[in-house]
Amino acid sequence: MKVIINFTLNGEEIEYAVDTHITLLQMIREDFDLTGAKEGCGAGECGACTIIMDGRAVNACLVLAVEANGCEITTIEGLAVNGVLDPLQVSFIENAALQCGYCTPGMIMTAKVLLNDNPNPTVEEIKEGISGNLCRCTGYKKIIEAIQFVAENNNA
Amino acid sequence: MKFVGKSVKRVDGIKKVTGALKYVDDIKLSRMLYASVKRSPHAHAKIVKIDIDKALALKGVKDVITGEHFEKRGGLYLEDKNFLAVGKARYRGEAVVAIAAISEEIAQHALKLIEVEYEVLPAVTNAKEGMKPGSPLVHPDLGDYKWVPVFFPKPGSNISNHYTLRKGNASEAFETADYTVENKFYVPHVQHAPIEPHTAIAQMDLDGSCTIWASCQSPYAVRQALSEAFDIPLNKLRVLSPAVGGGFGSKAGTTLEGILVPLAKRNPGRPIKLTYSREDEFQNAYVRQGLHATIKTGVNKDGKIIAVQNEFIWDGGAYNEYGVNIAKAAGYASAGPYDIENVWTDSYCVYTNHPVGGPYRGFGMCEIHFGIEQNLDIIAEKLGITPVDIRRINGMKPGGTTGTGEVVSQSGLQECLEQVSIDIKLNEKSKPSGPKKVRGKGIACGWKAPSMPNNAASSAVIKLNEDGSAHLLVSAQDIGQGSDTVMTQIAAEVLSISPEKITIKTGDTDHTPYEWQTVASRITYSAGRAVVEAAKDAKDQLLELSQIKLGIYKRDLELKDGYVVSKIYPDKKVAIADLAIGLNFDDGSAIHGPIIGRGSFIPPNIRNADKKTGLGDHPVVFWTYGVQGVEVEVDLETGQTKVLTVASCFDVGKVMNPQLLEGQIEGAIVQGMGTALFEELMLKDGKVLNPSFVDYKIPTADDMPEMIIKFVENPEETGPFGARGVAEPAMVPSAPAIANAIYNATGIRLNTMPLTAEKVLTAIKEKQNND
Amino acid sequence: MGYVLIFKQLYGGETMNRFEYFAPTTLKEAVDILNEKGEKALILNGGTDIIVRMRDCSLEADYLVDIKKISELDKISFENGRVMIGATVLLNDLGLHPIIQKKYPFLAQAALSVGSKQVRNRATCVGNICNASPLADTATPLLSLNAKVHVFSAEGERTILLSDFFVFVRKTLLKHGEIVTGVSFEESDVLGIFTKTSRRKEVDLSTVCSTVIKQADVYTISCGAVAPTPIRLDQTEAFLNGKILTKDLIEEACEMASKEVKPISDLRATESYRREMVKVMLRNSLLEWL
Repeated sequence: MKVIINFTLNGEEIEYAVDTHITLLQMIREDFDLTGAKEGCGAGECGACTIIMDGRAVNACLVLAVEANGCEITTIEGLAVNGVLDPLQVSFIENAALQCGYCTPGMIMTAKVLLNDNPNPTVEEIKEGISGNLCRCTGYKKIIEAIQFVAENNNA
Repeated sequence: MKFVGKSVKRVDGIKKVTGALKYVDDIKLSRMLYASVKRSPHAHAKIVKIDIDKALALKGVKDVITGEHFEKRGGLYLEDKNFLAVGKARYRGEAVVAIAAISEEIAQHALKLIEVEYEVLPAVTNAKEGMKPGSPLVHPDLGDYKWVPVFFPKPGSNISNHYTLRKGNASEAFETADYTVENKFYVPHVQHAPIEPHTAIAQMDLDGSCTIWASCQSPYAVRQALSEAFDIPLNKLRVLSPAVGGGFGSKAGTTLEGILVPLAKRNPGRPIKLTYSREDEFQNAYVRQGLHATIKTGVNKDGKIIAVQNEFIWDGGAYNEYGVNIAKAAGYASAGPYDIENVWTDSYCVYTNHPVGGPYRGFGMCEIHFGIEQNLDIIAEKLGITPVDIRRINGMKPGGTTGTGEVVSQSGLQECLEQVSIDIKLNEKSKPSGPKKVRGKGIACGWKAPSMPNNAASSAVIKLNEDGSAHLLVSAQDIGQGSDTVMTQIAAEVLSISPEKITIKTGDTDHTPYEWQTVASRITYSAGRAVVEAAKDAKDQLLELSQIKLGIYKRDLELKDGYVVSKIYPDKKVAIADLAIGLNFDDGSAIHGPIIGRGSFIPPNIRNADKKTGLGDHPVVFWTYGVQGVEVEVDLETGQTKVLTVASCFDVGKVMNPQLLEGQIEGAIVQGMGTALFEELMLKDGKVLNPSFVDYKIPTADDMPEMIIKFVENPEETGPFGARGVAEPAMVPSAPAIANAIYNATGIRLNTMPLTAEKVLTAIKEKQNND
Repeated sequence: MGYVLIFKQLYGGETMNRFEYFAPTTLKEAVDILNEKGEKALILNGGTDIIVRMRDCSLEADYLVDIKKISELDKISFENGRVMIGATVLLNDLGLHPIIQKKYPFLAQAALSVGSKQVRNRATCVGNICNASPLADTATPLLSLNAKVHVFSAEGERTILLSDFFVFVRKTLLKHGEIVTGVSFEESDVLGIFTKTSRRKEVDLSTVCSTVIKQADVYTISCGAVAPTPIRLDQTEAFLNGKILTKDLIEEACEMASKEVKPISDLRATESYRREMVKVMLRNSLLEWL
């Protein structure tokens, strides 16, 4: 059963016919080939599918594609503008805040919204803020440092 | 050094932070089909009849296969497994039927149309029970299987390997010991939980060529296994591993790749993809084996341990093709990093009808050290000495002897012990955060050697480009640990060109040269050596040509920043760019051709140990030693433990990249903490009760402790720049250090993992009642 | 709200069944669709529960009625002496609302303890209640606040006391064709403490949760994950009401509470651990007001 939806995807206005039983994650990955958001569990527990929807970090696996109608969606692919990496992306590399990279797109999107809403977070606030993004490789320490680094430089 | 030892930034960083890197599930190929798998609902059952007709009739279903397509058994060390169950299902969740369809949706719907008739058999759900005579047999035909002759299965039983270590005379020594202590420990199954589930795509073409894309740690191992299983010549079988989203051992060897090959063969030209769901990941990928351990120790009043007797019973699950080596590795490491004269160990790998045990970071070390390190603290307390002192007395020192009789020329254990004691401020108590809370500190040591065949080989190729840049080809797989970057650093260092000028290519058995496997913490050491050799080979060719060009002896030439330069007259130089594809002469002629550096490496002199006694003077290439110290706070009302601080020190030989190495240790500590506090695959009658992140909890950022990470560098003689591996050792002391800290805080000793709030509280209350 | 229980597929398949999707903009429209399409028409609110269950095939719907476009449902209002939380109010918005944080911090805390931040950007308080999980985190503060559930249907509007609303595990008094428009409670100056015990601090289901509210010397005590539904501890409340708190009184009350609850043993905890936690949590709550 297809429904026409209109939404903005990484700044681009899209009109698209989508099946009702498809999740937003499936649609962006399979229909738009934006494979940065990953399916790590399909049940909203790991955060690897985190994208930004109307300014909020959400698990794309828990949103039906049809619910994106009228919304503004940003994925990791939309973060770098005109080939210029977002400060978070640069910081993640500088601070070695990634290893296998699988949780990284979701982690960065969560961090992006975290800093948008709270430009000067404490370490505790960062830890709580990213606790919906599981990482098995890094032990989180450098991820927290990478986010702190951006916050500190924003406020400098 | 310019690049080795520096925190060079990850060479794959930009691809990963932009989401541009394509992992196997991200790959879309034309005319791709999707596979689904029907699994056994029984832990142990004969497959009586499979009805696939209704599924085949569903529109969009292209093919359905069963075990009859997998006649040959396979396996890394013991050939006991098929990719689909043949004859019977040996664990709940075993793949029985595979379907290929034009969409995932149809592939899943078709599963409901498959009818399988089973005859349920009694299941073995406890390894100790499984060892008893009269137990149902998981592999009644074990006697017909092939295995590598360093393993000792017992046909007619569920024992897939019985490893024995007999050093000195333990029973005599026990008689003379001042104290004899016996303790039992239990470690349940856990799962690696990489954030990327297993995925593979297979395509066969009518010319007989087969291409596999797999999220795998070891493309060459996959190639070998599939070649043997399906009689495909190695030159016709290509395995690509474009990216791996975490492995930790779960993606070593082969797991799901072979399910797809018959489907691919019967549908030539069509790639077929299979992706595990998270539920599959918990049940149908490898899991870490369970362990029942009994450790008996004979110790003298002066603190010297004179004898140890170990019995390790490993719950290896339904297939032990990999697990037999875990039992062996644990066996030869069973004395721990301690110099003990008399060691008697029996390490049994046992078949059960549980999920498949396989390689998990530590390869048996984490499990046995949970027992060994707590045991030491128990003994220390009995003797009235500190946990540090008992390790000072017995811990390995340079010139000491291991449990297999190997004399080790160096060991950084004592240095690490001192460092950690200082960093964790072991003798200071800090104030708890509340009235009903207590704090405590504990330490644990650990060691590990790469557990691999003695001839596990690595190779590397370096191609110089006409502009002075280079390509580095290896099949060492970056699974997150940063091997791409470290290999690049090594090549850059030897060739004296900047890492930005080197592009590393990996993971393609048609194009990148042989690597045994990316496991065993062996890549920095082994692939690193191969890269050194390849770079030296390229360097040698460059110096040869420069000798001709410059008229200066090779011995007086060196590489510097993209040039071959005279050591004596620095203005006499030639750019390597000008030599990359040959040396040109003024008369227009040219010689040599493209410079291709070639390196191959096998760790030297690893020799088989004695089959009966397990004794060997050089059975492994190196040992990595380390220590961790932990401070915890325990809530006496809820039993919850918070890990506050972890101090870690490992002797890595050479810190190749400080930032990346720290990251590895930090990840290992948190993973170890997860197994210590939360993680357990809850099994009941062979069923995994918690196959999802809802009830299998791994640590989040909020659980992260403070971490103090240090290193000691006693160079590994045969390692590249003195490096040895640490990826797995890093996790080994974590859980026992936490257990020892909990004891220090509360006086309660927990011999089973995980150390859940409920277990701690129950023990606290029992102690209060007894006091 | 009715649904058909399909035999749960053994291994999470990525297949929701196909359904028709509606996004009505008025309550009447929504209710009409529900009535017209019958029992296989389900309400879609935050979706964080329903989508997971449809993915693993433990739930099947032929029609989904998305109520998020009904504008009056997304407000938290303070009118006529009552606080009203609209059906589509997100848990993050509830938890971070300045007035809720100031006057009913225990409710804010409970809201912010559900799932992860990402989940709370979609999940709703009313959805949390309607799912009627025995451990629903927002249930205990609302129960202790004597909250009422507001229901809209073709027959008109009615309110149900939250304590009556929960019938059994995942079962409420809601009938098919009814939509919960919000949950409300009386504005009051109360002291309240929400406690959640879980295996892992963040992003975990409650092993036990509780909210204790004190208004003068009247106490309301609610617990989750200790019975088939979140419950009020009537007996323990009756015991405490009107009395001055002393250490001994508190101990007696805790002992009583641990016996009043009816927890089970499951893979998260045993019955006895849950009873012990009820004691600990109630004790620590009451000690705050000693």
